[in-house]
Amino acid sequence: MNVVGVEHQDKIVCQNISKVFIQKGNQRVHVLEDINLSVKENEFVVILGPGQSGKSTLLRIIAGLETPTSGKAILDGVEVAGPGPDRGLVFQSYMLFPWKTVMGNVELGPKLRGIRKKERREIASHYINLVGLDGFENHYPHQLSGGMKQRVGIARAYANNPELMLLDEPFGQLDAQTRYFMEKETARIWEAEKRTVLFVTNNIDEAIYLGARIISLQGKLPGRMHRVYEVDLPRPREHTDMKFLELRHEITEASELTL
Amino acid sequence: MAKPIRSIANEVQMQVKEKRPFTILTVLKNRWFLYTVSITAFFLLWDTVAYRRVFGGGLARPQEVITQLGKMMVDTMAGKSLMGHVWASTHRILIGFSLASIVAVPLGLMMALNRYVNAFVRPVFDLLKPMPPIAWISIAILWFGIGEESKVFIIVVGTFVPCLLNAFNGVRLIEPQLYDVVRMLGGNRRDEIIQVCFPAAFPAIFAGLQISLSIAWTCVLAAELVSSRSGLGFIIIQGMTLSKPAQIIGGMLLIAVAAWGMSLLVSGLEKFLCPWKREVMSQ
Amino acid sequence: MAYEQVSVKTPLGLRVLPFASLLLFLGTWQAVIDFGVVPNTMLASPTQVFKLFLVKLTDPNPDGAVLIRHAWTSVQEAFTGYILALLVGIPLGLLMGWFVVVEGLARPIFELIRPIPPIAWIPLTIFWFGIGITGKVFIIWVAGIVPCVINSFVGVRMTNPTLIQMARTYGASDWQIFRQICIPSALPMVFGALQIALAYCWTNLVGAELLAADNGLGYLITMGRRLALPDMVVLGMIMVGLTGVVIGVIIDYVEKRLLAGIRR
Repeated sequence: MNVVGVEHQDKIVCQNISKVFIQKGNQRVHVLEDINLSVKENEFVVILGPGQSGKSTLLRIIAGLETPTSGKAILDGVEVAGPGPDRGLVFQSYMLFPWKTVMGNVELGPKLRGIRKKERREIASHYINLVGLDGFENHYPHQLSGGMKQRVGIARAYANNPELMLLDEPFGQLDAQTRYFMEKETARIWEAEKRTVLFVTNNIDEAIYLGARIISLQGKLPGRMHRVYEVDLPRPREHTDMKFLELRHEITEASELTL
Repeated sequence: MAKPIRSIANEVQMQVKEKRPFTILTVLKNRWFLYTVSITAFFLLWDTVAYRRVFGGGLARPQEVITQLGKMMVDTMAGKSLMGHVWASTHRILIGFSLASIVAVPLGLMMALNRYVNAFVRPVFDLLKPMPPIAWISIAILWFGIGEESKVFIIVVGTFVPCLLNAFNGVRLIEPQLYDVVRMLGGNRRDEIIQVCFPAAFPAIFAGLQISLSIAWTCVLAAELVSSRSGLGFIIIQGMTLSKPAQIIGGMLLIAVAAWGMSLLVSGLEKFLCPWKREVMSQ
Repeated sequence: MAYEQVSVKTPLGLRVLPFASLLLFLGTWQAVIDFGVVPNTMLASPTQVFKLFLVKLTDPNPDGAVLIRHAWTSVQEAFTGYILALLVGIPLGLLMGWFVVVEGLARPIFELIRPIPPIAWIPLTIFWFGIGITGKVFIIWVAGIVPCVINSFVGVRMTNPTLIQMARTYGASDWQIFRQICIPSALPMVFGALQIALAYCWTNLVGAELLAADNGLGYLITMGRRLALPDMVVLGMIMVGLTGVVIGVIIDYVEKRLLAGIRR
């Protein structure tokens, strides 16, 4: 159903999204309040916030895994009604199927959509190459390091050719150096195959390095929109660039005020 | 001395072994030395106790047991060779276990996936669960007589519970986000079950397999001890009726070997069918 | 306010279903006998079993004892064997987990005994002890020892190596480390063993009584079969299950009450 009042080039629009969870023990947890944002086609948007700010929930609402208590998420003019292959989700804890090989994991999306074996092998191989894991097609997840597992996660999401890529703190479980490496890889992969991306993180450096626009949520529940930052730096970005550091300073100061 | 073991991707793990001074104490504390001492002492003790008739002829000496085993491998008992008896017991277990798992595993999976099925089946299951399978022997004989059916029935009863529980828990302990993955990739409920539940429940079912096996051996043994004309339990009973303790002990050892062998087979089968790590539900 | 109270209801169908299921089960059971689908020589209906239960509370015929007496004999035997198994098995397992000497000496014997189902010992014990309490207690003891040793062993082996290394830096001796770190660390596994061992002991007790006894619940079941009295058989089975559950609950209670402080 098409929704009025949405600009044509807006890929995603969130209108007045609020979310209240009812937990066992009969408690209500108010996680999101009044979220309004819009993302353009092929834009790399970062949602930044400390822990417990509801950002993962927001991502899951856009993914269709949760329904908002009020408000709606709109993708390409159509309201989000549930999970689907038009959105790819990369999980923080990788969520690879341990009983499938790398190839098996990546080709699962096409397989579920009925694509023939030869074709889906090609698609999967292409994306395994893209993330830099060629040669590891027949490895099982337990044989891979954390960074490699996450790359499989990214390839798996890409292989389904989604309209939208959603990444939920994908590098949260990696050590600092692997994290820098994965940030560079993510930027490289996105440049190679552009998609609209919503990237959730709590790391300010990561947000500035990757995002064209940063939407920060305030630091306590319920999560509310705090500030929006435009990142105007040319790619590839440098963590030690003057303007990078200035922006970093600005965001850090602003975040401290809300905690 | 460090030697590299098993490289994981681009990591290589080193194993370092210290060189310790070689003294009498190292010998005495060496595991294998102690094992040997232990086994030797055990057999010596056994021999002495048997020789001195501490149990009044009720314990046979080790060499008597070995001779008896040798005889059993050549002679027939009640018309069957030794292997025949071993096979009799084993194939009862195989049939009983297969029958039980064909019903128990799907039922367990359904109970884990559907709350209504769970609410319906659980009470009856909880009612019947505390009754030890061996307690069913008498009623099995009332129903099926003393033939093969009653023995297979006991094994079915005995292995049903662990199979069901393991299938149930195998599904219940699946990381819920794995279902999300399937949904996001475009799968529906049916895909969730086929792509996630079955493979994830597999290792749990195998874990239940080992337990089921040892229960199955106890069941088949008990059933054979009560009344049978073939099987390892029969060998033991015959040893009792013919007053041949050597045969009794020989039978016991055979059972130990057979059970151990089957357990090894199952482990091997598991390694073959589930080449990924067992403990983790998602990576 | 970010937190508010709200109640979540279980659907009515879900709450009624268990009762409906039980009624259906009992009803079918009763009907199958009443309508002659299954001959009364093979199975007794719930009402018949219940009647026998009431009768057996006071009547010692035809098997030689009142119901409570049978149950008590069984419980006594099981309990004796169980406690003995705990007293031997747990210390042994703990020591085996830490001291190489103990493991080296005890393990081969244990691994030899372990695969033999405890029931297999029955003919041997008949030879040695006759059909009396000693034989049965022995079998129950053998049955209970295995999970006790295994769980205690694994419990000690699973001790956090960092804790041990830390103790060594304080200069603790092997024995001190064992007492202060390994044993407390292994306690959860040991408590797990209590229930497992009980289940094993109880199952094997029934088996032992089925085959070689003149008293006890297992004997009651066997007598029912010999005299072709299915109601006695079913009564025996139910009593076995019930008693097992009751003992389990008691053990659980004792565990929680007396050892609440030590347990993690």
